[in-house]
Amino acid sequence: MTRATHWLAAAGFAAALLVPAWAAAQEIGTALKPDEIKAEPFKDAKTVGQIAKGDRLEIVARQSGWLQVKAGNKKGWVRLLSVRRGQGGQTNVAQEIGGVATGRTGTGQVVSTTGVRGLSAEELKAAKFDEKQIAKAESFSASPEDARKFAGQGGLAAQKIKFLPDPRGGAR
Amino acid sequence: MNARQMRTMLLVLGIGWTGSVVAIDLDELRRAIEGPKQDKEQTERPAPEKDAAKDAGTNAPAPTEPKKKEKFDIGKVLSAVREISVEEEIEIGRQISGNLLGAAPLVADDKLQAYVNRVGRWIASQSGRSDLKWTFGVIDSADINAFAAPGGYVFITKGLYARLQDEAQLAGVLAHEIAHVQEKHHLKVLQKQQLMSLGSDALSRKIKGEEVVQKLIGSGAEILARGLDKTAEFEADRVGVVLAARAGYDAFGLPAVLQDIGSNTKDAGSVALLFKTHPHPDERLSALGEAMGQRFDDVNGKALPKRLVRMP
Repeated sequence: MTRATHWLAAAGFAAALLVPAWAAAQEIGTALKPDEIKAEPFKDAKTVGQIAKGDRLEIVARQSGWLQVKAGNKKGWVRLLSVRRGQGGQTNVAQEIGGVATGRTGTGQVVSTTGVRGLSAEELKAAKFDEKQIAKAESFSASPEDARKFAGQGGLAAQKIKFLPDPRGGAR
Repeated sequence: MNARQMRTMLLVLGIGWTGSVVAIDLDELRRAIEGPKQDKEQTERPAPEKDAAKDAGTNAPAPTEPKKKEKFDIGKVLSAVREISVEEEIEIGRQISGNLLGAAPLVADDKLQAYVNRVGRWIASQSGRSDLKWTFGVIDSADINAFAAPGGYVFITKGLYARLQDEAQLAGVLAHEIAHVQEKHHLKVLQKQQLMSLGSDALSRKIKGEEVVQKLIGSGAEILARGLDKTAEFEADRVGVVLAARAGYDAFGLPAVLQDIGSNTKDAGSVALLFKTHPHPDERLSALGEAMGQRFDDVNGKALPKRLVRMP
């Protein structure tokens, strides 16, 4: 190996280390509701603090339904569903789009600057049937047996879990 | 404008107002006419699936008397209303999907396509529609979105797929779409629209042949651009989380994806349609939070980050 490739390898390694670290440092969240900060990602773990709605959090890691966060001088785990990623609210891309989508700005047009193929309402409406493509898609269909086997290889086993009731829809 | 274009226009206009005019639950109507009937797929469901049948019923508006009685011959409508058969459902879904692929073809990566089909089919096997021959695909679009069509067709865009971090997140997205098929959300929209726009004449005929199907679904794949109502989306989130968990996956795959697309999308255009057709991700997360509560605390699903096939 030449010196140059050594250098490249070292740079690549450094980049691989740096990028996630940078991304993690950038990850900011906001509490959607009050919740307890737990010492570990389990409901029975010791409570080490509280978050209040609107609190700014630094997101360190995720494990299943839990996010490891730093909130002020407290560090611990809060429920994933108690947090939204991003700051506060006003500068959020999603919310800007949300406003546009409700038609308040009139046109409902969102400017896309990428120039790559998109799937706008207009494009979908103008779409023409492609028999070759749909036939190709269907050719990839997996049999239930094949899928079960693949699931087993990943250690997946079917669980018995009831469907969730709608907490907001009284008539059930 | 030729006659066909004119009809399509009328159909499109029709869609605009059906939402506010029709307040008839077609399933209720059917039950009223035919009496309680167990169809094949329901009897094949495992016991917990009964909840899904209940869920499906309450999603549609409660049956009420039509307001415009003088212009609305209820007898004629009742006699014309019939259930769309599974064969018709598949034909409708195939047409919509073929149109969607006309706008954005499959990503040319057989390994990736085979992979999403295995993951998707395993989740679909846990649903109330395990009888269908399911087809999944990754489509070549930078948009962040996923689509379902009746009869068991599910597609995820390359843009969304590239953001996924593990197989459980893929499972969550596919499960949300599978839920739309299980609950027949798009089919219900079409049934209502068919009832109002095409009249009882078309209803009594079999939905057969490309032209008739295309007439029913409108122009191209516009039904996918129109979106469903919020209740249907929240329901698909709740059902999707459960289907993914039933398949053995970490139940928080879908919430994690919602959290990600709610904030980390730099290109506004890539999420335009998604946010136009769905409630805001924060709203969906809050609703899921209420529904899930602590129910999944003791369910230890798998995330499988290493098995996720990365984009070419």
